[in-house]
Amino acid sequence: MESLITFLLDASNFALALLLVTLGLIIIYGLMNVINMAHGEFFLLGAYCVVLIQNARLPFWCALLLAPVVLALVGLAVEELIIRHVYRRFIDSILATWGISLALKQIVIIVFGPTAQSIVSPIPSPVQILTVTYPAYRLFIMGFTVVLAGATFLFFYRTRIGLAIRGVIANRPMAASLGINTRFLDRSTFAIGAALAGVAGAVMAPIMSVDPQMGVGFLIPAFLSILVGGTGTLLGAVVGTAAISGTTTIVANTWSQVVAQIVVFTMAIIVIRLFPQGIMARRS
Amino acid sequence: MLKIEGLIAGYQHGSRVLDGVSLNVHRGEIVALMGRNGMGKTTLLRTITGHLFPTGGAISFDGKPIIGRPSHEIANLGIGYVPQGREIFSEFTTEENLLMGVIGKRHLPNRIPNWAYETFPVLRERRLQRAGSMSGGQQQQLAIMRALVGEPKLLLLDEPSEGIQPSIVQEIARTLRRTAQEKQLTVLLVEQNLDLVLGMASRSLFMENGRVVDEAPVEKIRLSSEFVEKYLSV
Repeated sequence: MESLITFLLDASNFALALLLVTLGLIIIYGLMNVINMAHGEFFLLGAYCVVLIQNARLPFWCALLLAPVVLALVGLAVEELIIRHVYRRFIDSILATWGISLALKQIVIIVFGPTAQSIVSPIPSPVQILTVTYPAYRLFIMGFTVVLAGATFLFFYRTRIGLAIRGVIANRPMAASLGINTRFLDRSTFAIGAALAGVAGAVMAPIMSVDPQMGVGFLIPAFLSILVGGTGTLLGAVVGTAAISGTTTIVANTWSQVVAQIVVFTMAIIVIRLFPQGIMARRS
Repeated sequence: MLKIEGLIAGYQHGSRVLDGVSLNVHRGEIVALMGRNGMGKTTLLRTITGHLFPTGGAISFDGKPIIGRPSHEIANLGIGYVPQGREIFSEFTTEENLLMGVIGKRHLPNRIPNWAYETFPVLRERRLQRAGSMSGGQQQQLAIMRALVGEPKLLLLDEPSEGIQPSIVQEIARTLRRTAQEKQLTVLLVEQNLDLVLGMASRSLFMENGRVVDEAPVEKIRLSSEFVEKYLSV
């Protein structure tokens, strides 16, 4: 019983952080048809914002503000300097963003060194849930990511600018002919996607090993989530992340991390075979 | 209001789907553009709306040259576009589709004006319905209203009668003509349906092989089958 509760809490932790990364990735892909291989490094940079804040002896919470701001700026710069030149060149965009990914990772190694940084937990005390003692900070992660993911959904489904972005995703030339500035939306959406990954990295930093390789650990499951959930709707991201992170944690807990990887990849292949457009795609 | 001179454009480099189009549409006029399939009518509209860059010629709207401007700027200058095949956002509700028509316009408030639903009451009934699940005629009314709520000065219509039953075509024609009059709207109507053209336009241009080759007032087209035989029958 105790281990089950702990397990469920751990699983939702991972799932929710993954959801933030996946949402950014899916929005960028949906809008610009760019598979952003550097998305894991946006997560990575977010985590290193925490290192910066810690080295500056500022309270951890500043990092949760700094990370999205820094990553939005990084996103804007990357979009302006590189991405916009490879729109509508699908393979080139994969190559270009992969290059960005390598460059960002190397910059982190140059600045902070290749070794793992330790982050002091901002809420060190545990709390009692039913019969288990659980780190309070992990509960904070859950609350924070739920609110942020909820806000992202509200932004996309309840605001005018969200409607415009969904319109551009659905039919870019038509949206442009209705007067919608697609260029502006590309730019801001890329920044929003990067900021989401950054804030996810920052909030997860205290419970992860913060090292230059941590980005890829989120990029791959995020991709698998999109493959499983489909790119058609943001809801696909929720279904996909739930399926991928659920399977990963269950199998990793029962057997081992290696088996978990095998099972997750096999599952992704089967889902792609059965639902080429993803589980949430509208069947017309 | 819309002045096009010697326009040359095509889809591949060197191809000339438009081979020197020249035409003039005056303020407040409803002008039809007729011709067989493949003569360049849709290509012309796509070039005016900035989706296709011409290799030669000039387009001016309200005295301003518009070639080279992005589509969203052209829309904001006051050119509304109802493309062939309607291109409504099928996953969106009717209301969301209409909102798409106003949120991109700098000078308009971000809400749907009442007259939109008064003009096409069926859109109010289907306000929260997924647009893709409506009939062809309703979708066409939606596509037209989505352009009209943006309060364009010039409306470009591409085959609004395509795939729609004749009774609805007549209704759309009547409503459009009335709305155009009330709003002092200029309309360029690309059509092959003679009834719609006779019911709406004051004159028609005829297009052949990428050029405007002839024009006639609708009274003349109504009386003589010469134009239809020459430019429309296959």
